[in-house]
Amino acid sequence: MNKFTSLLYMTYFDFVVSYRRTVLGPLWVLIGPSLFTLMLGGLFAQLSGSSEELFVPHLAIGYITWNLMTGFISDPTTVFRRGAPRILQGDMTLLDVMAVEVMYHVLHYLHMLPIIVVVILYYDSPITAWTAVSLVGLAILIINGIWTTLFIGIISVRYRDLAEMLPAIMRIAFLATPIVWLPSAGGKEGILSLFVTWNPFHHFLELIRAPLLGQSIDLLSWLVVGGITVVGFLMSALAYRSLAHRVPLWL
Amino acid sequence: MADRPTDNWLLEAKAVSLSIPVFQPEDRKLLTNPVRFITDLYLSKNSRQVAQLLRNISLRLEDGDRLGLIGLNGAGKSTLLKLLAGIYKPTVGVVTKRGLVKGLFSPTMGMNEEATGLENIYMRGLLMGFSLQQVRERVPSVIEFSGLEGAIERPINTYSSGMRTRLALGVLTMMQNPDVLLLDEWVGTGDAQFRSKAGNPVQQMVDGARAMVLATHNDALMKSSCTHGLVMHKGELVYSGVLNDALKYYHAEIAAPNDAQKKSAQKKSAQKKSAQ
Repeated sequence: MNKFTSLLYMTYFDFVVSYRRTVLGPLWVLIGPSLFTLMLGGLFAQLSGSSEELFVPHLAIGYITWNLMTGFISDPTTVFRRGAPRILQGDMTLLDVMAVEVMYHVLHYLHMLPIIVVVILYYDSPITAWTAVSLVGLAILIINGIWTTLFIGIISVRYRDLAEMLPAIMRIAFLATPIVWLPSAGGKEGILSLFVTWNPFHHFLELIRAPLLGQSIDLLSWLVVGGITVVGFLMSALAYRSLAHRVPLWL
Repeated sequence: MADRPTDNWLLEAKAVSLSIPVFQPEDRKLLTNPVRFITDLYLSKNSRQVAQLLRNISLRLEDGDRLGLIGLNGAGKSTLLKLLAGIYKPTVGVVTKRGLVKGLFSPTMGMNEEATGLENIYMRGLLMGFSLQQVRERVPSVIEFSGLEGAIERPINTYSSGMRTRLALGVLTMMQNPDVLLLDEWVGTGDAQFRSKAGNPVQQMVDGARAMVLATHNDALMKSSCTHGLVMHKGELVYSGVLNDALKYYHAEIAAPNDAQKKSAQKKSAQKKSAQ
């Protein structure tokens, strides 16, 4: 059988089994972000001094996509340790384990998509051909998940500091990224513009969020994302070539 | 083995060594030495200590070979098996295989505790490379073999260890017979009742494999299933030959002096104690 299908089934099993002994199962994936949006949408709209129609879709798409990004940055710190039994039995290669991890997070993300759909329909965001660009942005983010998972995974097996460091950084980055606040909040000149311009997460997020909100995407965002994709894959390939053979020994 | 110069080999290791850098506690942390971290990664500067796990090992497995790996704990037997299985990659040298090489290291490992027995059968089947349909066809015989009809829908964290072993062995019955079978210790045999009920699939795989390597400390088991022996000591191959000779060599040269050392150490500590 096709390897990909088999990995897809593995992903599905892992996903379903991880919700064992919960009553609502994977529905929890949907409930968490829904509560977040419902409870905090109005509050943060007030705080940022903008209207609900503008802010709630911004918050919902940002928060949900952020989940995918942390899945690609924080979770890979343990990906090969979790996969150790499969790797050390010779059942799966590092690349197999990486693929299952990436697909797991995509599957997780798909479970949250209904929230975005509901929010967009409810607040009547314009749906045009431009909206579809969001899918391109999502595809690029997922492709980047491949190299981050492999790279961070390999390095973390050896330097377990990353398992502490990256989640800490991601908590800070969440607040430093325009999710619970609007990028326009401080004006182009203010200190906030620093957090926008120099924040790679913002640029990845823009490619997905801006088309859904009917906004245009800065050229800068395309350039940053493109650059990170190319450099990331090169870095990851280099790390894989020079270190992958040691990963099973480190596990 | 190497003394028969045929070209009918299934697995060959040519002068393989395996080493791994060992780090001093000071520079193990990325934050305390970021520069070293970068140079390690991109320039692979090795100014560290290196632990030699395997040193210059050559061997060739041919059709019909039944090879026993003999050695003390930590001699490198399991490491060599993992290397032959392709899980570890040699630092120096090459391992070449012709045909399907399969290692049975610990079949209960890698089962998902939260998943049911049935789901674990599916997962293992998929990992063996079967399609969902193929696994589905094989499931009834696996369940029947393992005798878990009543428990197959329960998560395996409710299983006793005997049930787990039976499930693992049942799963093995799905597996296609490999050309080369690598065994680290004899894989569990389940409870006595189970053993008498069904043939052990591990035994069947051993019989079906064209070549086999077994690492164990059980001499009787090795004598009953191996023809040749390799003695390993501290990561090196120190003796290779007919099994009985290899075992004799091992007991005379490696195990006995080691015991003597231990005994003298014990004596010394006993003397110390009595002196106190």
